[in-house]
Amino acid sequence: MLCNYCERSCEINEGKTGFCRMYTVSDGKIRERFPHRWSACSTSVIESMPFYHVHPGSRCLTIGTAGCNFRCSYCSNAHIAKEDPELQQAKMFNIPPDELVAMAKRMNCRSIIFNVNEPAVSIPSLIELSHEAEKAGIMTGCLTNGYMTEESADILASIFSFFNISLKGLSDSFNKTFIGISSSKPVLRNIGRLARDSFVEITTPVIQGENDNELDDMAEFIAGINPAIPWHVFRLLPEDEMKDEEYPDINFIDNALTEARKKLPYIYFHNFVGSDRVNTICPSCGDVVIERFSLGCGGDKLKTDHTAGGCCKSCGREIHLLNRNLK
Amino acid sequence: MSTAIIDARGWQSSFDLKTGDKVQPENGAHRIVKEVLQKHPYPGDMDKGSNRWVSDTALELIDKYMPRFVFLSYAAQYFLLRYTPLTDEARSTIIAGAFREAERFAELSGYTPIIVGTGDMTPLIDNIDITRLDGLALCTNWSARYAGLYEPSDKDMTLLSSHPFIEKIVPREEIVRLFNGSPEQAQRVPEFLMAGRKGYAFKALSPTMKVPVMIPSDNFTVPVFLPGSEINDITGIRGEIEKLIADRNIALIIMEGIGINDFSLPYRSCSNGKEWFCYETGDAQYLTISSGEHRFFDYPKGYKYYDETDVNNEFPFSGYFKTIPENTFASSFPGRSIAVGNKSMFMHMVTGADISIECFSRNMFNQGTMAVIHRENK
Repeated sequence: MLCNYCERSCEINEGKTGFCRMYTVSDGKIRERFPHRWSACSTSVIESMPFYHVHPGSRCLTIGTAGCNFRCSYCSNAHIAKEDPELQQAKMFNIPPDELVAMAKRMNCRSIIFNVNEPAVSIPSLIELSHEAEKAGIMTGCLTNGYMTEESADILASIFSFFNISLKGLSDSFNKTFIGISSSKPVLRNIGRLARDSFVEITTPVIQGENDNELDDMAEFIAGINPAIPWHVFRLLPEDEMKDEEYPDINFIDNALTEARKKLPYIYFHNFVGSDRVNTICPSCGDVVIERFSLGCGGDKLKTDHTAGGCCKSCGREIHLLNRNLK
Repeated sequence: MSTAIIDARGWQSSFDLKTGDKVQPENGAHRIVKEVLQKHPYPGDMDKGSNRWVSDTALELIDKYMPRFVFLSYAAQYFLLRYTPLTDEARSTIIAGAFREAERFAELSGYTPIIVGTGDMTPLIDNIDITRLDGLALCTNWSARYAGLYEPSDKDMTLLSSHPFIEKIVPREEIVRLFNGSPEQAQRVPEFLMAGRKGYAFKALSPTMKVPVMIPSDNFTVPVFLPGSEINDITGIRGEIEKLIADRNIALIIMEGIGINDFSLPYRSCSNGKEWFCYETGDAQYLTISSGEHRFFDYPKGYKYYDETDVNNEFPFSGYFKTIPENTFASSFPGRSIAVGNKSMFMHMVTGADISIECFSRNMFNQGTMAVIHRENK
């Protein structure tokens, strides 16, 4: 059978698995192998995901499963995303959706965010979880690589209110070499699809000398969908197969974003400690409307939210924020 | 004002440690520290050069700042033992290498070393899953023996009380009594503190972390190398430093993940806690050593860390610390002091040294280094 969850469209035989090793075929149906088994279940502030424009300063419950449909050479969660999911089961949390939601409520979390690996490898569990969360008035969101089928994108759009989609590179050669896929076209298509109905932020890890030459084109693409989309440009932290590579030059990448900043008002450059490119600036008057601390590697946090009712206090301009429960 | 200098590899920036606001001081200490950071990029927690980084950074800082008191922490062996399946021989080699590095530092610096092992590691036998209680159970990834418990149901208490891997469930009042806590301190202590048996680690809510193969043992005593001393409790170390430093320079050296079983120098076996409670490696143990008094309450085991993160934005680069701990030796010592360590981003808080340099690794992702200058006018 062909698996229709992600763009790899793996052919899976009865009892076998596809690329991500998270689905199998049983009784003639594609089924999730490890439903409601979580590699992470923790609490954090939403800026650390990163989501900078979704309920700033709010607390979230973060979860993930195992496996991935990408093979990024710089994966920062390789021990979860690349290792055989079956071998990870002994260490997983086994928590049903209602208990996860109860936990989120107990810890005063406004949302539940899937943020470790790719949600497309665990769609049935996430559907159940989102339904439970919705009943309890808790929003759900996710980080995704966007490499899912159109049908899966529709499903994710129906269960999640907000997304941070990773736009890793545009060219085929970059995607083949560093990501293990043939083309970014499905990702670009799904960014457009998800941004149509949901709140979207985008993240791009920059590998100096490999995809920094695409930054202007990426900005052009994002602006074509919606120039208000927040874009997180990450300084790559060399990990996994790229562990011995040089750290990208911060000033070089910052300069490379000069043109992009003319097209997109909400560009952030971070994933390193102390970045001063993490504040939200009012696109109209230039005042700082939201201040943050940059601590790198999923540690960012809100310093001060100066907005009033989601608008700049100085000029009244509405800031592109998700500040209400959508689903 | 305490200043934090971040070195994110090829890029440096300075901040007010308390507010996180950017600052641009250009005094002598600031220039020295920036140079040292630039010259000594952190190789990573499990890199073979990690402990050498501690020595080399400290030696350079000594050369430039000439402190009387040095506080070092060597931790590469702790991370390696914790996460790498090793033969006994490989384990011994790693530990011997850590001691060689400390001895190299002592030799080259000429400082009189006081060496403390934070405690033995023991193989992880199994986890104690506390994720599916009616109440809330909290612990960090780095703690094995202890977890906090809030609002447990009768069912929870029945289950936990009869759990074969749980040694003790202690109510808040008992903890407060043990450490003579004030009513204010009691508020941050969990309703109950659970203590696991040796070799078992609590598994509560946590982000994705590698699964350890070894965890801290129940170290009721730890080894202290301090020739001529008769102390028998880690709270006595500070007093010995105060005596000895009158006529010599002192280096207090913490060897992470090394206890009585593997300590290769002559040592005194020192009490590392009170009654049923023993310190695991971390801020409370460091503060107890550096202040000479038990410090359970600064950040109690199993406390609701997330509540404090939500309401207090001060000290943004200092992890869970929300204030600079009081009464550390170096903070009141009139002579100059430095600290260097590769254990955690807490040396600037737990040592009180004038200048500290530490790795900035979050969940072992190497972000670079951070220096903190608390004082620059000595």
